[in-house]
Amino acid sequence: MSVSAPGAGPVVFDPYSLPSNDNVNPYAFSVELDGQWFLQKGKMIAYYGQVDFHAIGHGPLDRLVAANFHSPLHAADWVVAQGRGKMLLADRSYDINSYDLDEGNLTIRSGNLLAFQPGLALKQSIIPGFLTLIGTGTFVAASNGAVHFVEPPIRVDPQALVGWADCPSPCHHYDHAYMRGVLGGIRALTGIGGASGEEHQFEFSGAGQVLLQSTETLMGEVNTGGVPGQAGPGVPGAGAGR
Amino acid sequence: MAVFRLHGSRVLAVDLAGDAVKAKNGAMVAYDGEMTFKKMTGGGEGLRGMMTRRITGEAMAVMEVKGHGTCYFADRATEINLVRLTGEKLYVEASNLLATEPSLRTGTTFTGLRGASQGNGLFTTTVEGTGQAAIMSDGPAIVLRVSGAYPLVVDPGAYVAHTGQLRQQLQSSVGWRTLMGEGSGESFQIRFEGEGLVYVQPSERNTIGGQL
Repeated sequence: MSVSAPGAGPVVFDPYSLPSNDNVNPYAFSVELDGQWFLQKGKMIAYYGQVDFHAIGHGPLDRLVAANFHSPLHAADWVVAQGRGKMLLADRSYDINSYDLDEGNLTIRSGNLLAFQPGLALKQSIIPGFLTLIGTGTFVAASNGAVHFVEPPIRVDPQALVGWADCPSPCHHYDHAYMRGVLGGIRALTGIGGASGEEHQFEFSGAGQVLLQSTETLMGEVNTGGVPGQAGPGVPGAGAGR
Repeated sequence: MAVFRLHGSRVLAVDLAGDAVKAKNGAMVAYDGEMTFKKMTGGGEGLRGMMTRRITGEAMAVMEVKGHGTCYFADRATEINLVRLTGEKLYVEASNLLATEPSLRTGTTFTGLRGASQGNGLFTTTVEGTGQAAIMSDGPAIVLRVSGAYPLVVDPGAYVAHTGQLRQQLQSSVGWRTLMGEGSGESFQIRFEGEGLVYVQPSERNTIGGQL
């Protein structure tokens, strides 16, 4: 992606040339829909074909939801896409990746999960703000920057953590060395003298994989409903009326 | 003849040899050679265009860049996409339009309810003629072809621009369940039919219908 030749046209996609259950580019994923997928609200950007979106709640998909969706806390944020066609998913131009689980389990930050196949069951993790997927199937997740896989034992920054697979057990870890002594105590209580901001980590031990994103900035969730003048920087349309 | 080329994906380089391009006001990040920058009141469309933009709220702060050398444009690190027009019409939001060649004419057009659902107002900007235009998107835009055999449905928040002979209609699936607070989050969609290309971005801007 350096200097492109003048006049070189962009790639044009149609329903036949769009990839099937694969990335279109690092920021968008194309789902070949034939049946149902669960997806988080507002992550569908376009589709070809005949697709209906059903809210999770009482309705025609009662049995599907009962079998695969076990998180009342997040029910309002999720929908079921039903039908046939090609559907494009994206999220705040984050990096998008798909993962296949085979009789496995994976826990992920709830805001990073975009969509999953009904072969997987969604449950709330006992860690607040994380969701666990159990079963067999594909799911799509977003990360702010590329995802890195690391193996325990490891300590990770809470903001850089995307999720973990198989069975490492996470716990909080605090560096308390800086609290020793009178001066250290004052520093810990008041922050005077400087705290590095890295005294708190998540510690993983056991067998499995830990997924990290390459930034510590958790971009704010999109404040849906704001008028363009109030939208944050980097959002085209934010400058309207200025 | 102005030559548009991308420098990376977020910087537009324009080679000028005495001619002028129109660009979003304040989007210049660097230049070499001799350049003059002139703010064009009302998008440089004359008195009538200025009035139209004032009334429709499709305000566009545009400058004219003229000179010899290379001028570099960028805006908030958004991705830049080049669109080559050969006589057809490009529909794009004023806030997503970065630069146009002098041979292109810009104007405003009524979009109807689609604009309202995007939170962008009822009017949009058109670019017409032969030449290149640079449009901005949050993340690289994906170009999707629409033909008679396969219409396309797009989320209003992800729509950036379109070209060709396309009919667009707002389709909504607001029912009693939406009113019960069980919205699907995708209640408002734009359906494109006809022949043409639609540019979508891998991100959704804030829309009024976003939560329904």
